[in-house]
Amino acid sequence: MYTELNSILNTTPDSFTQGEFVLLSDRQSDASFLIHHFLSLYLRARCKVCFVGLVQSFNHYSAISQRMGVSLTQAKEKGQLVFLEGQKESLSVLIPQENDTGSQAMDFLRDPSVGLKSLYEFVRSAVSSNGEEAGDGSEEWGPPVLLVDDLSVLLSLGVSAGAVLDFSHYCRAIVCSQLQGNVVMLVRCDGEGEEDEGDDEGSERLMKGLTHQCSLTLHVQGLPTGYCRDIHGQVEVCWRRRQGDGQYTQKKLFQYKVHDKGASFFAPGTSSAVL
Amino acid sequence: MLPELLQGVDTGGLLVIQDSASYSGRHLLQSFINAALNREEAVHVLGFEVSEEELKDGLRGSPVQRLHFHNAYTDPLGWTDHPAFTVHQFCLGELTRLVKQTSHSKPATLVIDSLSWILRHVSTPDVCRTLQQLRKGGAVRSIIGLLHADMHQRGTVGSVCHSATSVITVEPAMRGDEAVAKITKRSKSGKVIQDEEIFRIKDDLTVVVQSKFSKGAKKADSEEQETDPTANLTFNLRLSDTEREAKQKLALPFVFSKEKKTALLHSGPGSGRIHYEPDANDDYDQEDPDDDLDV
Repeated sequence: MYTELNSILNTTPDSFTQGEFVLLSDRQSDASFLIHHFLSLYLRARCKVCFVGLVQSFNHYSAISQRMGVSLTQAKEKGQLVFLEGQKESLSVLIPQENDTGSQAMDFLRDPSVGLKSLYEFVRSAVSSNGEEAGDGSEEWGPPVLLVDDLSVLLSLGVSAGAVLDFSHYCRAIVCSQLQGNVVMLVRCDGEGEEDEGDDEGSERLMKGLTHQCSLTLHVQGLPTGYCRDIHGQVEVCWRRRQGDGQYTQKKLFQYKVHDKGASFFAPGTSSAVL
Repeated sequence: MLPELLQGVDTGGLLVIQDSASYSGRHLLQSFINAALNREEAVHVLGFEVSEEELKDGLRGSPVQRLHFHNAYTDPLGWTDHPAFTVHQFCLGELTRLVKQTSHSKPATLVIDSLSWILRHVSTPDVCRTLQQLRKGGAVRSIIGLLHADMHQRGTVGSVCHSATSVITVEPAMRGDEAVAKITKRSKSGKVIQDEEIFRIKDDLTVVVQSKFSKGAKKADSEEQETDPTANLTFNLRLSDTEREAKQKLALPFVFSKEKKTALLHSGPGSGRIHYEPDANDDYDQEDPDDDLDV
């Protein structure tokens, strides 16, 4: 986890807001470094984590988390982490074999118009089984957390934007509202597409719909002035719902640089390369 | 106009609050709910987008006994075995039954959060028809709906707003805690009133209209006094008398006076002279060709 991002979001492994829906988004950039932050943050906070990894293999996340000091293999063995490796599961759907145990989570690949109900069932069983199994030696974990990387690939697989929005709604209903856990989802956009092109399905509609549902957005973009070696881009943090004092949306802009073992965030213009 | 609307939507009226991803209209919706509760009206909320706890959390301090929340948030599509209210139950019969479940003397106000959720699953003509039937039906006194304008095509938004008696479009304003409301109100006589206001919602959910928003309202530029640019300089721009005299005496290099002209044209002794003897073919004019030069 990145300490500077923790102080920006006012979170620590010991204290973080519960019931939050965090939306990570990027436009012509790559926000997946933020997924690693939240993964290690919630694992360190001893939460029960359900990770739906559709775009990369388990080893990819494991290697990066290792560098940040968290072992995914250990967490999986202890039962803290439930990992859905989308790429492997999809093979068993497309090339079914006899000895496949196979969860039905990726069944939407066979018929995308059916929607993501089976994927939601997988998530529900993963987050609800906290402490329900025979408790000899199994540890008590904290509130459940769902991480999805990423939602846009579902659009490429033929699922409609409406079905993805339904899926995220149901996840939010069960994880945030019912179980007081957190949800972190990554959605990616390409192109400038600000206008309503009359295209009912598509990443823009998905992004707008998710923005309405979430309570915190982190939007990653390249620098408007172009490529820079020392600053990899900018992150706009937007708090949509603030409990207590006022409910106006608060926005803050930061620039970031991704290192080998982490990422640093700083106010625009204060990069260490400049000062 | 915003406070007028808050005081009560006309009987049989449909108020649509349009918002976008940059500013959520739910806060204004809660203000309307709060105002209706304070008027001792029964309010039925059909909640698709936020849970009951979240909605009531924003309504702290309001008399929520008269607020009836119909839970369409946990299972709006019937994915579990016992859904409370699904989106496909959005029709006149079901809604009338829902509202009549809690018996009240006065017809209630129905709040729909949000219309966008329903429009994703039910076709636009069906939604408009149901809203129209509800308005004429008499089971509810008035309807207030929240619509996310950026999630639908313009035709869909237009159709829903066309069946509304009042439309409030909210957008963020320059200051963080303020917002701009563009209001269109259609009265029963057919007259359409449009207005634009900047408002702020206080902690107790009352709406304060900050000012009338008018695009041409620039402050009249007060005429600034002409400041003397030669004052307060570190160098001297003024001339003393002797300097002024010397300046006027100075002969400028390319301004020719008569003396200078003759001196230049008729060169003095010692300089070379040009002897010209015209040929038979030459057209020699005795006159000085430079005579008409006005130098």
